[in-house]
Amino acid sequence: MTSAVAQRGLELPLEVRRLLWTAAIVVGASLPHWATLAAWMPVLLVAAVAYRLTTAVRHWPLPPRALRIAVALAAFFAVLFEYRTLNGAQAGSALLVVMVALKFVEARGQRDELVLVMLCYFLIFASALTERGPLWAAYVVVLIWLTTVAMLNIGRRGEFLPHRTAALTSGRLLLHALPLAVALFVLFPRLPGPLWAMPGSTSSGATGLSETMSPGDITNLGLSDEIAFRVEFDGRPPRADALYWRGPSLTNFNGRTWSMLQGTRRGGRVADSTEYRGEPTTYRVMLDPNGRNWAFALDMAARWSDDNTLRMGSDYQLGTFFGAPRSRRIEYTVTSYVDYSAREPLTPNEIEMFRRLPGDSNPRARALAQSWLVDDPSGAAIIARAMDYLRSQPFFYTLTPPALGAQPVDEFLFETREGFCEHYASAMTVLLRAAGLPARVVMGYQGGELNGFGGYYIVRQSDAHAWTEVWLEDEGWVRVDAVAAVAPERVALGSTRYRSDRGFIASTMLSNTWLRQAMLAWDTINTRWQAWVIGYGPELQRALLDRLGFGGLRRAQRSAVLLGLAAAATVFFLAGLSGYLAWRKRRHTDIDRAAACFAKFTRRLARLRVRQRAAGEGPGAYAEHAATALPHVAAEIRAVVDLYLRARYEPDADGAALAALETQVAAFRPAQA
Amino acid sequence: MQLGAARVFERWAAGWARRRQGADTHAVELKRRRIYVLPTRFGLVFAAMVLAMLLGSLNYGASLGFMLTFLLASLGFVAVHHCHNNLLGAEIKFLGAAPVFAGERAEFRIAVSNSSAIPRLEIELKRGDHTAGPTDVGPGATETLRLGLPTERRGSAILERFRVETRYPARVFRAWTWVHMDARCLVYPRPAAPGRPLPLAAADGATGFHHAGDEDFAGLRPASSGDPPQRIAWKAYARNDVLLLKEFSGGTQEPCMLDWDMLPDLDAEERLSQLTRWCIDADAGGRSLGLKLPGNVIPLGAGPKHLAACLEALALFGLPR
Repeated sequence: MTSAVAQRGLELPLEVRRLLWTAAIVVGASLPHWATLAAWMPVLLVAAVAYRLTTAVRHWPLPPRALRIAVALAAFFAVLFEYRTLNGAQAGSALLVVMVALKFVEARGQRDELVLVMLCYFLIFASALTERGPLWAAYVVVLIWLTTVAMLNIGRRGEFLPHRTAALTSGRLLLHALPLAVALFVLFPRLPGPLWAMPGSTSSGATGLSETMSPGDITNLGLSDEIAFRVEFDGRPPRADALYWRGPSLTNFNGRTWSMLQGTRRGGRVADSTEYRGEPTTYRVMLDPNGRNWAFALDMAARWSDDNTLRMGSDYQLGTFFGAPRSRRIEYTVTSYVDYSAREPLTPNEIEMFRRLPGDSNPRARALAQSWLVDDPSGAAIIARAMDYLRSQPFFYTLTPPALGAQPVDEFLFETREGFCEHYASAMTVLLRAAGLPARVVMGYQGGELNGFGGYYIVRQSDAHAWTEVWLEDEGWVRVDAVAAVAPERVALGSTRYRSDRGFIASTMLSNTWLRQAMLAWDTINTRWQAWVIGYGPELQRALLDRLGFGGLRRAQRSAVLLGLAAAATVFFLAGLSGYLAWRKRRHTDIDRAAACFAKFTRRLARLRVRQRAAGEGPGAYAEHAATALPHVAAEIRAVVDLYLRARYEPDADGAALAALETQVAAFRPAQA
Repeated sequence: MQLGAARVFERWAAGWARRRQGADTHAVELKRRRIYVLPTRFGLVFAAMVLAMLLGSLNYGASLGFMLTFLLASLGFVAVHHCHNNLLGAEIKFLGAAPVFAGERAEFRIAVSNSSAIPRLEIELKRGDHTAGPTDVGPGATETLRLGLPTERRGSAILERFRVETRYPARVFRAWTWVHMDARCLVYPRPAAPGRPLPLAAADGATGFHHAGDEDFAGLRPASSGDPPQRIAWKAYARNDVLLLKEFSGGTQEPCMLDWDMLPDLDAEERLSQLTRWCIDADAGGRSLGLKLPGNVIPLGAGPKHLAACLEALALFGLPR
């Protein structure tokens, strides 16, 4: 009794239940946007939903039309004020969320609610325009499923479907749609570039390496575990201490800060003068967006994939030098040789440029370097003396060095003697320049962590590194890593192992191996997702076509073939679905089951040499014949026939006769007379 | 509200379908060839949305955008089949229509049967702006819908054509079939306004004036629909659960022989209306009743069947059969 009353209490009016479903969809679809929205927008949405539900339960009237228009205009301008534009994915989705909130306030009747659900599809779509992980995809699938349930119920005139029916039906719809969706995803031809110019990139901060370096200013190098890029080697990776991922070079020095050369130094390909030796290493780099157009490759890159407009700059750095900074992940394949001679011919002007030091800066360092010239002025000797100096004096590698004053290199070399890679790279370059050698600082990453699950390397921001490159007359550019003199393990083990060994990492998360393993496994899933789903584009489609035997086609032909395949897949899946639905719907009533069961029974009798049932012979007459032929089981035969007649021709609401018939026939296994 | 052009088109298309599939008997099973599927207006908006998403995905090169786009597009495609399948194999049967008076709504009772193993949801019947349903028909079940049609003139209201329609599951597509079956509903003439007294002429040999009253209880007979409730024997019902009607002695009430020629001041349709009114009144008053029409004479009699016969004669008077 009480439960019946409670149930009636829960039984909300249909209109309210429709609104509740719509509310759930609206909030659910906007959820992925909340992180990027201004704080007031989710608040507005939730408030609008709460208000509308209250009005529905309390039977309040809608707010007057003039007020609604005023609020809509105010919200519109608030969005405009917030983003200064309505163009672009972020402002667009913000406007969409606000529109949905306002529309919800005046949602009245099924049509409005269906329009809202449709707007929610757009909201979900807007969130798909930024890169999302597999969890997002799972969430969206659940959301689409719920949306379909909502559509089933909202559009109904009259009572909702039972929960189970609605859930199963929409699940079935989704399941039937999934194979075709996957086929279309794979086969629909993708374009290599945008159809029209995209609104300015919404990515705000550049992450990772910066364009300048002033080691004296940093007293605590915050190392982020954020991933810079992932690398998958074809075959064996090179030794850990050869994993120098080259980034930008810093040539200009003002005594304190290193910065990049402005503009391009020379035309032509610097790589042409490079001599490659030994085994090539080929690998695929999956580069996370870093807000710049730099790309990273192992020293020294020899060949690279020509998609993504990848070029090598005059300082041997790879980059996508055309177009806006990247806000999306790119992938490229590079072949490098870790054994090389980069014999770039430098002009006297360039040599001068790479030797330049500000006249009054760091006098002690310069004096030290010049003192080495007396013994042996050859480049190799100078480098050896410099490395020797760092090794013999009490230098320490630390991430929390003291701040340095006006002559940072002097102070570091002769007083504090504590620093991280930037300090050493800067000091070494100053020493070499002071000794008259052309030199520069190269920034990049060193090492990387092998993900055992995915078989690829993860290079994190914490692997960022800086080293010196010196130009020798007959050898070209030679790498000199001063850190290797002070903390060789840093180079040999990579930053993660090194830091955890040395207790640099306070966070238990990184040192807890179990958790670390779990994180690596998750990263593998993410990486595969990135490579196969997010990264699925023209290149992978081309590879697919090659595999299907459509190699060597031009782009237009490829698109035509793909469209044809997509159309064929559509026809195939829909025809299959049609057949499946017809099969599922086939007559399958209790009467048929009884008939099938009785047919089984007669087949069994036939095996015992009872003649087949004649056409037009009633089951009763047939049973009598069978009972006479098999007198030892006559009683069983009569029982089966009796049950059959009851199941077939009498009302059998609870299916008891049918069930008994099926049991009886299953048990009917007489021996031959 | 349908646009004029749409209505003209529908009439043309239905005519085409009629020529294609022929007239139906009173029971039809909906076969593949006669079920048509087109997007609804909501479906067109949905398609435009998916197209916009496709363009957006192409432009942004957004793989996840493609994924969502194709998932929604596939849902749409799949919905076509589910929608079509929802009608396919359903059986439509015309059960009949109770006669009505002109001006009332004729209600055609049409059964939708589902002999399949899965339910058919939201099946509607439509005739112009008139709709019956939607109804859900479970596996092996039959649901009866009443499709209403306004009547104006006496005679036969013919449900020349109706649509069996469903927009289940996604409302983006509408699957329908046109059914052309000879479904008729008898329409009695509109009863004239009460006013003229019953012409209580003796049928043959006046037996004198009797006090017109209901006091002379003659007996009980089983009640049937159309009987005045004030004459139901409620006490008898309470005793043995059978609805009985109190019959009053016909002898005490004058029989009522109605004649076409009694109303020379009215035109034909008005006469029929007046005769209808009198038939009803006479029956309600428990009188036996006869009807004399040109070329058709119904002798005196009583009871609902007799009344129905009289009314039918009036309804079809002068109409080609």
